[in-house]
Amino acid sequence: MTSQIVENVLREARKHNAKGVAEVHLVIGKLTFLGLEQVRFSYKVLTEGTIMENSKLFIETKDGVVKCGSCGYEGSFNYEDDPMYHIPLPTLKCPKCGGTVDIVGGRECLIKNVKLILDEGCQH
Amino acid sequence: MRPAVVYLKEVVKAEAGEVYDIELEADILEANRKLAKKNRELLRKYDVKAIDVMGATGSGKTSLIEKMVQALIGRYRIAAFKGDLTTTIDAERIKRHGAEAVPITTGKECHLDANLVGKALRNIDLKQIDLLFIENVGNLICPAEFPLGSEQRIVVVSVTEGPYMVIKHPFIFMDADVVVINKMDLADAMGIDVKKLEMDVKTINPKASVAVTNCRSGEGVKKVIEALGL
Repeated sequence: MTSQIVENVLREARKHNAKGVAEVHLVIGKLTFLGLEQVRFSYKVLTEGTIMENSKLFIETKDGVVKCGSCGYEGSFNYEDDPMYHIPLPTLKCPKCGGTVDIVGGRECLIKNVKLILDEGCQH
Repeated sequence: MRPAVVYLKEVVKAEAGEVYDIELEADILEANRKLAKKNRELLRKYDVKAIDVMGATGSGKTSLIEKMVQALIGRYRIAAFKGDLTTTIDAERIKRHGAEAVPITTGKECHLDANLVGKALRNIDLKQIDLLFIENVGNLICPAEFPLGSEQRIVVVSVTEGPYMVIKHPFIFMDADVVVINKMDLADAMGIDVKKLEMDVKTINPKASVAVTNCRSGEGVKKVIEALGL
């Protein structure tokens, strides 16, 4: 996944004849299976020796959002907090009406924006 | 995975004459979702019902497909895609029962993606089939991230994986339409309370149907078929 992020940014940078990349801003949903620590580590390794080397990586996380088909509730997950489970277990049961909900947010892996360093005098 | 497509929305602003802030809004996972949608449309065009089969390594995914093919082969023309890292052993197992089986070897990837499935779809004659099983690589994590374009999703969990598999992997069970609890014949030997596993599934995903099976003997497979509406 990180290599795709890097590939996309490099492609964009080439398109603009950039000589460097200053910042990359990502949005990662909490319902994805991406480990932020791993993303940061592989980002560092993958950008070495490229024009992205030493660029700053900003990661914004986004909570999971569910929507209820029966009562229209839209918001965070309901958690089943039974001590039997040791951890609060996320459930698709609606916290408001007890109906079932669908996941509508939190699965993003978005390159939101990048800041490119362009050659001086480049026309844009 | 193929590189995701980037859609340049707009150039936002220029800073100090040399740093350009470019809004990309490129979602890497969205690229797969779009391909999955395309697969779904293609399947619909040919009136093929596709069903994902996911679950851990050794949970009984292939055995379940074998038993379903045996039971359904007279009524449906069936094909199966079988995701594996390298071998074609499992595809051969499915072929024995009269279904067309296409092995999809991922090399090192731990999951199938919509692009690989799209390629496999171009390899079969969709006019000749009504039902397609897509067996994912044995894994309870990554397959949840990559929809493939199927209509329904089965997650298989076996009692030999221990009592906590469902609550440890809530997100893949949230994506399931049918959850199969397999190897019921070994529950006593493993000291597993099948009812508790069923309850865990229902807690996480009240919408999912649950079937308890022994995919070696075929016990309970009829319930899976019913839950799929086949």
